[in-house]
Amino acid sequence: MLLVLSVEHRAHLGCLPRAGDAAVGELGRLALEQLRRGAAPRACESAARKLNISVDIIQHGVEGLVYLLTESSKLMISEADFQDSINVLGFSDELNKSLVQLYLDNRKEIRSILGELAPRLPSYHSLEWRLDVQLASRSLRQQIKPAVTMKLHLNENEDRTAQVLQTDPATLLHLIQQLEQALGEMKMNHCRRIVRNMK
Amino acid sequence: MELSPYAQGGWRLLGDPRRFPRRPFAALLRAAFRSLLDDPQAALDDPDLKDIDPTVLKHCHAAAAMCILEAGKQKADISAISTCLEDCKLDKERIEQFCTEYQHRGLVTVVSSSIGRSPLHITDVSWRLEYQIKNNQLHKTYQPSYLVTLNVENSDSGSHPDVSFSCTMEQLQDLVGKLKDAAKSLERATQM
Repeated sequence: MLLVLSVEHRAHLGCLPRAGDAAVGELGRLALEQLRRGAAPRACESAARKLNISVDIIQHGVEGLVYLLTESSKLMISEADFQDSINVLGFSDELNKSLVQLYLDNRKEIRSILGELAPRLPSYHSLEWRLDVQLASRSLRQQIKPAVTMKLHLNENEDRTAQVLQTDPATLLHLIQQLEQALGEMKMNHCRRIVRNMK
Repeated sequence: MELSPYAQGGWRLLGDPRRFPRRPFAALLRAAFRSLLDDPQAALDDPDLKDIDPTVLKHCHAAAAMCILEAGKQKADISAISTCLEDCKLDKERIEQFCTEYQHRGLVTVVSSSIGRSPLHITDVSWRLEYQIKNNQLHKTYQPSYLVTLNVENSDSGSHPDVSFSCTMEQLQDLVGKLKDAAKSLERATQM
């Protein structure tokens, strides 16, 4: 699949040859830092001073690279497709090679950063459990009522929440049976076939 | 087995044949058991009770209910109940009526054991297996994931929003492993 670059995008990337081949390494580094930590105007300014180029060129170049890298990583395009996509920009072979290398070296990290932006449901972290026997209550003396008390730790939007839950022995066995069935589903032919065919 | 002075007062009224002839007495006993064991919203609208003063009716209904619950709480036997009601000046026949009704309705202990506070109680679980293909930030994710929902009940209000969470296959294996540990230790405890 080829990347389609808009006019504005091409204009931004067009700043790269103007910066010089040596500067591309620096711009690549700035682009990755921006992806990891967000925009850093001061870093761009110091890079502009160091390379003796105007801040605007630096900034446009970085933005162009950020967009190029994120789109390519998001779509997981192949090396060949990436090469073909940037050929339309008419860069030197040297520059093309640097860009391809930049993409391949950092694709995995960029994908994991993008993965954190996806919508998320509360997710499982861990479970603690305890066996209790209720011996008496205000309304009934002399009981023997076994129960399993659990603390379910979930990750919810960057926070860790804990919920205290309880269940009786019969329901516990039912839960185990149901969830084991759920685990078994992935091993069934139907799921295996789908996973195989969707790569 | 002991009853509060208020309950004893109610029983004394119940024991008085002028206030409570035979049929209303039997009707009140039935109503008391019904409101505890069958239907908490049951009204005291038995036709046999229509001639009784409402305040007296309320007092006696409360007294009967308190006696039933106290007997259940202490797991009192017939002799203990009889002694208690004798102190309220109830005649033998009426004591016997109550005890027969009490023995007939063996569910009092079950009701008593369900009264009280406890953490959210899990009643059931449902799960969903999905295979993620892409999202708007990332394409070709290709990952299976489970969505597990635990149906929970609140001891006070009865219903509660379910607890839902997503997990990977490894995390679900961890969860099931821990539940199985709990079940194993439960089995060992029952064999002790």
